[in-house]
Amino acid sequence: MGRYFNLMKTSAASTRIADYSLAIDTSAGTTVAVLSMGTVIAEVNYLEPMTHSERIGSAIEKVLADSGIQANQISTVVAGVGPGPFTGLRVGLAAARYFAIGAQAELVGVCSLDSIALDFYIGNPSAGNLLVTTDARRKEVFWATYSGVVEGVPVRTHGPSVNKLEDIAGFIDASSHATTELGVRAGALGQIAFAQELAGVANRKDITPIYLREPDAVPSKGKKVSG
Amino acid sequence: MAIEIRQATVLDLPEIMKLETDSFANDAWPEETFKSELAAKHTYYILALEDNLVVGYAGLSKLPGSDQADIQTIAVREDKRGLGIGKKLMDTLTLQATELGAKEIFLEVRADNSAAQKLYKLFGFKQIGTRKKYYQPDGVDAFIMKTDMRLKTNKETVVLGIETSCDETGVGIVRGNQLLANIISSSMDKHAIFGGVVPEIAARAHLEALTPVLDEALEKANLTLDDIDAIAVTNGPGLAGALMVGVGAAKALAVATGKPIYAVNHLVGHVGADILDSGELKTPTIALLVSGGHTSLLLVRDLLNDVELLGETIDDAAGEAFDKVARVLSLSYPGGPEIDRVAKDGNPNAIRFPRGLTLPKDMEKHRYDFSFSGLKTAVARHVELAESKGEEFSIADVASSFREAVVDVLIKKAVSACKEFDVPRLLLGGGVVANARLREVAKEQCEANGIELRIPPFTLCTDNGAMIAAIGAQLIMAGRAPSTLNFSAESTLPVTTVQS
Repeated sequence: MGRYFNLMKTSAASTRIADYSLAIDTSAGTTVAVLSMGTVIAEVNYLEPMTHSERIGSAIEKVLADSGIQANQISTVVAGVGPGPFTGLRVGLAAARYFAIGAQAELVGVCSLDSIALDFYIGNPSAGNLLVTTDARRKEVFWATYSGVVEGVPVRTHGPSVNKLEDIAGFIDASSHATTELGVRAGALGQIAFAQELAGVANRKDITPIYLREPDAVPSKGKKVSG
Repeated sequence: MAIEIRQATVLDLPEIMKLETDSFANDAWPEETFKSELAAKHTYYILALEDNLVVGYAGLSKLPGSDQADIQTIAVREDKRGLGIGKKLMDTLTLQATELGAKEIFLEVRADNSAAQKLYKLFGFKQIGTRKKYYQPDGVDAFIMKTDMRLKTNKETVVLGIETSCDETGVGIVRGNQLLANIISSSMDKHAIFGGVVPEIAARAHLEALTPVLDEALEKANLTLDDIDAIAVTNGPGLAGALMVGVGAAKALAVATGKPIYAVNHLVGHVGADILDSGELKTPTIALLVSGGHTSLLLVRDLLNDVELLGETIDDAAGEAFDKVARVLSLSYPGGPEIDRVAKDGNPNAIRFPRGLTLPKDMEKHRYDFSFSGLKTAVARHVELAESKGEEFSIADVASSFREAVVDVLIKKAVSACKEFDVPRLLLGGGVVANARLREVAKEQCEANGIELRIPPFTLCTDNGAMIAAIGAQLIMAGRAPSTLNFSAESTLPVTTVQS
């Protein structure tokens, strides 16, 4: 593994906006990006949904190397807080927490689905309502709706929630919403966090995952074991 | 066979030359070359001696002012190869190079000598180039290999260990063999209403506990992350989703701080825990690890190089059996302490519950394996039968007799392993070691059979990060290269894989 020189931090907290950020999301595949003042300067995306814990270390190492940024120059870690399949989602959030401690950076959480919305509206600036869905397994989807982007931040109108795809019609008029095949991208999460900062929108300082489902477990009924 | 390592002098030249010409048939150094090598001020040559006879040698060159060192040569007598002598020589040389201020160590090796290359890789050497037809007259290529300087290899190396394989989030810090901090956050209470560990609940709790546990460990050790030399993390065996939390966190911390990372086997960690209590691990030893997730009997000849799984449970872990029987008796979770409490007033011989895998026919195939599923069912049948007949029964007697059956099998098999393998030591580990009767019977049986019994304190027996840090420190002190960043969380990691 690479060795990093202990360069002095380049800035004080008050000029945080001018600094570098690392964005991490494992709500679907493994996606990691380094941004400089809200501009992506390196990004890696691994689409496989099952290899987060293998990928995460070298993915972070690679974006740092590609960007030429030292770990301790990172002043903000942006974490995709889901929703997404739990086991994978947690790998990125665990990594974000410990990277932030190791690099003495601040943590910011962004809803993973927001990154899909941002990328969609950048490609379709005049589009109206958007329905974003991702696979939640068990024949359900994680979903949210958006009305557009204001000052670089997607405006969420519903969700995030988890439902059967056909049941979403009970919440929104699906026919008036565009849909997209785009996936979660760490770079877009970093852009959103930066835009929130610029716009003075409070961003999530806590990076508690958006699970949307309780753990699968049934309280013990006790006793009967032999039957 | 004790191997002694000492520095070589010109007086050793005749012995060395004998080995040199035997070892390097076509490309041995001339005597004059070797003589000037031994005499030079910038070289460091060592011998491996057995009964005062030279069985190996190796040499290093390090020019003053340079931050690079070169391994010049290494040889082990043909009939003494494969015994770890080469490893000892390399260990001493790489340490010496680091002490002399080398940041990088280089060497050349014949392209066709895979045994030597394997040895060098153990010390982190990687191929960085090839010299065509370097070895004459054979015309064989040389691989150029390089490794980074070794970590502080004295007893001062500081390692942070992270453990998330089941329901305990542990971060521990050690300095060499010494315990500095051992912080554990358990999600046990959250599993209580389910009567057993729920993997998803455990994994959620790990994520929440990561930061506070790390902060507390650093505070307890009175250190900052800058003081940590390396990071160790459990990558198996255990619950996959739980393991992944620790693995993801540890990798990111390693990249953020530029520290090397060691992926460590959880079960070997339990064995290594004793180092932190007694300052060393006496080997060989039999180790009995009993917890809610494991019931394993190990023969440990050498902590890092030779751990053999003699047997394990073929169904429930012993701790799991305690939990399930506690449920049958309407006792609360976790079952171990509850059954211990109730059993105090009972008669252990009131009911003869079955001892799993102890019949002669089972002993053939499962000599050191365990089975608690049948026992659990027998207890349940006993209780249900009594209830269906409307009979009163003594919970204390049932609990006591059940506990006796578990302890009986565990200790009998462990003691018989000690005898069969002629190993006069038994080490206990795992959360079930808290069980009073288990400790009592272990003590009695070990005393009766002349076996030295080791039971580390409970905070080192239950799952914890300190034992993982301890294995990390042992790996570093043995000169092992760090793990690469791509290792995975492996729920069924075999005990033979000490480091991934």
